[in-house]
Parts: sequence; C-alpha cells; structure tokens
Amino acid sequence: MLQHASLVLRDGTSLDDLIMRDTNEVSLRVMTDEELYGHEMERIFAKTWLLLGHESEIPKAGDFIVRDMAEDNVIVARDRDGSVNVSLNVCPHRGMRVCLGEAGNKPIHQCIYHGWAFKPNGDFIGAPIEKEKMHGNNVDKASLNLRKARVHLYGGLIFATWNVDGPSFDEYLGDIKYYMDQLFCRTDSGLELLGPPQRFVLPCNWKVPGEQSGSDGFHTLTLHRSLMEGGVMGGTAETIYDQAPGMYGVDVSCVGGHSLRCLEAEKTFKMFADVPFEGKSTEERLNLLTPPGITKEMIPQLFRNLSADQVEQLANIPPQVGGMFPNVLIAFIFAPRTDGGSSGALTLHTYMPKGPNQVEFINYIFAEKDAPEQMKRDMLQNSIQATGTSGTIEQDDADVWPVIMRNARGAVSKGITLKYQALHGHERPEGWKGEGLLYPGFTKDDTQWNWWLAYHKLMSEA
Amino acid sequence: MTWVTKSTAAPDSTTILRGLSSRRRVPVGSAIYNRLLETLYDEAAALDERRFDDWVAMLAKDLVYQAPIRLTRTGANKDRDVMRTMFHLDEDYGSILMRTGRLQKSAWAEDPPSRCRRFVTNVRAGETDAPGEYEVVSYLFLERSRGDNPHNEHMTAERRDVWREVDGAYVLSRREIIVDQSVLGMSNFAVFL
Repeated sequence: MLQHASLVLRDGTSLDDLIMRDTNEVSLRVMTDEELYGHEMERIFAKTWLLLGHESEIPKAGDFIVRDMAEDNVIVARDRDGSVNVSLNVCPHRGMRVCLGEAGNKPIHQCIYHGWAFKPNGDFIGAPIEKEKMHGNNVDKASLNLRKARVHLYGGLIFATWNVDGPSFDEYLGDIKYYMDQLFCRTDSGLELLGPPQRFVLPCNWKVPGEQSGSDGFHTLTLHRSLMEGGVMGGTAETIYDQAPGMYGVDVSCVGGHSLRCLEAEKTFKMFADVPFEGKSTEERLNLLTPPGITKEMIPQLFRNLSADQVEQLANIPPQVGGMFPNVLIAFIFAPRTDGGSSGALTLHTYMPKGPNQVEFINYIFAEKDAPEQMKRDMLQNSIQATGTSGTIEQDDADVWPVIMRNARGAVSKGITLKYQALHGHERPEGWKGEGLLYPGFTKDDTQWNWWLAYHKLMSEA
Repeated sequence: MTWVTKSTAAPDSTTILRGLSSRRRVPVGSAIYNRLLETLYDEAAALDERRFDDWVAMLAKDLVYQAPIRLTRTGANKDRDVMRTMFHLDEDYGSILMRTGRLQKSAWAEDPPSRCRRFVTNVRAGETDAPGEYEVVSYLFLERSRGDNPHNEHMTAERRDVWREVDGAYVLSRREIIVDQSVLGMSNFAVFL
C-alpha cells in the first residue's frame, strides 16, 4: 500500500497527481509550479544536508567563504579553535547581509548598516556605543547570534543543514556511504579543492539537472555522442549504439535517493589498452589502472583507509558518476588526455535553486592533496575541458535543460509526463559486498526513480 | 602572464594584475597599431562567422588561452579579485583543436549554432621584450542569440593578449580573458572569447 501524500496544492492537485508512483511518471508541471517550489524550499532545502564547499578553501582561523543554501545566503568560516561554522548571512538587527565579500579572512564580521558585529562562529559580539545598549534594553545577547546551521565534515567536504535535530549525516547517506567512502575517504591527506568553484546560472528549475544527477547513464550515448566521436569513451561514431560504451555495470542506490554508477575497470581499461585483468590480484589491477586521481605511489594508502572489500571494488568496478540527493552531482572519471596521460577528473557540482525558473550551477574541481603538482595541473585542465562552464561534456547538458524548462510552461506541455518505466529492479550480483539497492547490467531508470521517491518522501512530510 | 604551477582554493593567491603592463606604448593610429587592430577585427569576424579553420590559423602552437574566475572581495583585498588558480577556460593549442574539431561533429551546444556578435573596443597595445611580439589589451562585448529565444545572452570581459608577428601576419600566443561576472549569466562557454 502506498502511503497517501499529505501535500495538496491550492488547485487541489496532490503530490500523488504529480509524482505517479503507480506508473513511474512525473508531471512536467513540477518544473514550473511556483507553489510547489515554495514547499520544496521548506521541506527539502531547509531540511536536508547541503554541500557548501571544502575545508581546503578556509585553511586558517578567520578564513571565510560565502555560499548559498538554496536562497539562504550563509557564511562558512573557520574559528580560532579550528572548527568550521555555518551561519545565516542575515543580520538579526535589520536583515542586511553581514558579509558582502565572497571569500577572505576576518576575525570579526561587522554589518555595514548599523555596525552589529559577530564572531566567525556566528556569536553576537555587540552593537556600537555599548553603553546605549543599541542591541536592546533587556535582550539577552545570545539570542542575537546569527542563525547557526548544523555542520558536518565528510572527507573535508563541508555539509550543513537547518534541521538541527534531524538525521545525522551518516543516516542521511545511508547505504551509499560504503561506496562514497571509496571516493572521498580513501587517502591519508584527502582531497584538495584546486580553486574556488566555477559559478554560472541556467534558466531552468533545479530539478531538471537534479533528476539527472540521480545517475542518468543513458543520456551519455546520445547527448554526449561527441565523447565517442572523440575516442574518449571507446567505440566509434558508427558503433555507439551497438557497443554502448560505459552503459554496463552496477548502478547502486538507496532510499535516501543517492546513487553511483560503478563501471568495470577492465572494460574501461580496454579503451586505453587491451590488457586482461584475469588472474591478477587487487593490487596488480590497481597498478594496471589506477583509479582517477590516484598515483601508483598512493595505492598503499587505499589499503590503509578502506576495507579490503572496498579496495577490491575500487580495483574491479569503481564508482564513477552519481549524485547525492537533492542537488549534488559526482563525476570521478577517467579522462584520457591528448598528451597520452590519464590522470582523470574529480568534480562535484551543486545545483542551487534561485527561484522556480533559475538554478546556479556550482562546479568544484578536486585533486588528491598528495598528488604531484603537475598531476594537479593536468587534472584541473581535464575537469575544465570536460565539465562546468566550458566543458565539452556539460556544454551540451546546459543547452538541453533550459529548453525542457521552456517546454514545461505550455498549457498542454506541462501535462506531459517524464517516464521512468525502463526498470531493472533490485538484484544482488553474485559476490557483491556492499549494501543498498543494486541494479546490475545496462543502466536503467531505477536510480533516478529512487531520486523521485526520496523527493516524494520529503515533500510528504510537513 | 605566467603558467600556474601551484593550485589552491585559498583566496590569498588572488592577484591584482590587469590591463596593459608594457610601458612602451604602440601609439594609437601607428602602422603597427592599425595592423593589430585589423587582426582583432579579422579574428572577431572569423569567430562570428564560424570559420574555425581560419581562426585556428591565427593561433600560435605555444598558445596559452585562459579565462580565470572573478571573486567579489571587500576591504583591503577589494581589488584582488582575479583568481588565477581556477578558470572557465584553460586551453592550449591541442585542446583548442579538440574543441573546434568537436564543433564539426555532434556538439549540440552549438548545433543549432549561436548567432554571435563580438564587439572589440578600447584597444591598447605595447611592445614586449621579444622583438615582433606585442601586448594587446582590448574590451570584449559578446552578444549571443540562441534558437528562438528573443533575449540575447551577453558577456563583457577584458582580454590581455600577446600577438606575435610571423611571416608578415600576427598569431595569438597568449590570451587571458578577465570576465566581469563572478557568476556567469551565460549558460555555457561553448563559444570562443
């Protein structure tokens, strides 16, 4: 029995009319509806964990960056005790932004309007002319702190949520953590952000790129055809649909809506050189094809930081692309270079809502901190040339999404449904070690449907 | 204009450098200035008309072509806003060939193609230490029309170039594109700047 959704829009449309769980369809109307967007801000973006950056952006006490949690602007700052704090960038006095810069170092954040001042951890210090008590006659200073979000660092990634008493970050990740750890928690020194993120806006609803981040593998064959034409993914322009490079593997997912596509290293390796994996140990396989961003010298670190089962998966069928619900895309991919190298590309995107009709695409580009400088340089270039603002892969995504959005406005068009009916169903491959919802074989709609189920679940909870 | 060797996300590494750095000006209206200006106009026309082979012929094999990101800064650091550790474009001659080659095949971002108009103004030129190499700074205003959308996307930037004379023509060996937006309003850079 499906539980009845509690959300009903003013015109009588219920969440179940929009997310059709009996037929695996979603009404295109969800992309434009302003009332629904208002509920999303409260029920999803003010509730769930959101990715705001990486601690390598704020290495010293007083360092800060300013980021958005949907349409709520926040200060992410390192305090003298080394802690990372996330505070609402809204002065509790008259509502002005307390911090107007995007990044820098400040021991005190003072609002330029009336001068109220705050510590990097958001604590209220005072208002000018202390003896006149301009913060209020009988007001407790502690009640005037900037609104503080709950913070969690995961592999150096900064996550925050307004749901202070809600699920822990580990509960939020659920069964997908075992796989995410293989990307974010695998080395001694961890990841390093190579520079502040690329930022650009697209005229579309956040869910247009959002649902794709639920591991849409299938679009690669057609939308990203130029990868095959360019020889980056194996096969040739003539054999794209026959060989379907990168389509077979194991898609992993969980009830939280997160997912990752795991692709067999042996098949990936054939794109570079034809060397079989059979009869080779985990360590030998890792040496034949080091995971993206990892050097041969760093392989012992993998064994130190991950379980034997996790390293074995990283050697045989590593997670490559996927997402974290609601708005993070992960691409930790092999990226052959024109100079013959294959240092890979490690990027994360967040898709931050900016009203129902606009989304900000934020592209974070990483390397392993212990990687040599030249490798970091190459990986920066790999990521820039493949993803984000000018990347030859994601240029094409950025061109599709606004067109879907324009379609979604039509009186007739908005009744069209998005179809998630090509389903495999959960199936545990023989010998598979991790938990979660598993979909072996050709990549299908299962993980993206799980993304919508996670959306439905949060939107049902007031 | 130096090649980045140290990557970092910490904002301390931002730099002020912009505009013309040469103190030996090539005067407006001089023969060399006129030929450089003509070259910039020819380049804009080649790109607007999507004659990519003609454009690539204007590029040096040792090309460095980068668009660093801009940050909004305050106080003592208010002018340190060009972040030369992260880029919107980070290219060399080989990667430009990869990009122009892709545009001949399935590059949906430019198929159907944008209709672009590149306005190049405020051109200032100076001599460099290398004979026959000139530093050329210009403003770029790009208007881009997509599909049946009546609202153009636009972008403004300063371009800091080095043009080198080879066999009586100039080839581009360095270009730094300093965009004015910290958050780009253009949905992608599938076009060259």
